[in-house]
Amino acid sequence: MATTTAQLIITSTDLLSDSLSLSSIATLTTAGSATGLTGTEGLGRKKTANTSEYTLFAAAEATDDKAHKVYLKNLSTTAAEYFEVQIANVVVGRLYAGDWAFLPWSADSTGTNCDIDITPSANNMTLEYMLFTDE
Amino acid sequence: MATTATLTLASTDIAGDPVSVSKVATLTKAGSTNDLDQSSGLNRVHLRSTTEKVLLAANAEGNNLAAKVYLINKSEDASLYITVKINAQTTGKLYGGDFMFIPWSQTDTSASIKIAASNWTSSTGDIPVEYALFHEDTDFLTNA
Repeated sequence: MATTTAQLIITSTDLLSDSLSLSSIATLTTAGSATGLTGTEGLGRKKTANTSEYTLFAAAEATDDKAHKVYLKNLSTTAAEYFEVQIANVVVGRLYAGDWAFLPWSADSTGTNCDIDITPSANNMTLEYMLFTDE
Repeated sequence: MATTATLTLASTDIAGDPVSVSKVATLTKAGSTNDLDQSSGLNRVHLRSTTEKVLLAANAEGNNLAAKVYLINKSEDASLYITVKINAQTTGKLYGGDFMFIPWSQTDTSASIKIAASNWTSSTGDIPVEYALFHEDTDFLTNA
């Protein structure tokens, strides 16, 4: 069993009238258990040549309905450039330059094909990603 | 004015070499370097049924503006999960202790974020959930 942790810290000294400091740590475990995730596809980068939609993770290649976790980051430094992230053809949101996301992924491929797709807003953008799998 | 979100992923044994990823994002308005300036604050709800609930109702004014959602299942029972849906599509399950941090485009008013304590029973007890929205549009008071 491996031990993998994800920690999120959100801070602001001036968004509110009091300082904001929020911290959460999660140990990445298999669905419904305390057993650590043991699979990962490693940290990767994808350079997109054009503004076509790309399938980043295909649901058919992961076990259905598990506790997979996905990390995404837009490495662009041009503020207007974004990746639109979709799951099962539903738009989740846009990752603008420097933004990252961390989310659970059900990888359902029986009811709906829950591929994770990305659509860059410009040519020659780079997305960094990592998938932790529950197999 | 700046709000930052830092993610650190760490493992010494999930691969042959250690994993150590640490990233900081400054939360900004769509397509600009101007900081996000609004927040719902940190909210806490307790789920006491399997009924699907609207956690954040999409606002047409927010279409493709920058919004970030933080959501955590605060249950200490690893088997208890909440199902997270966007626009009626399940994106994943947050088990006890799991969190997510995502951009949210609100492409239309159907893009609400909904959650359900899908395996809750009367014997499992409440599932506490905390969430916060950071956004830039002006008309979100109904969601707070």
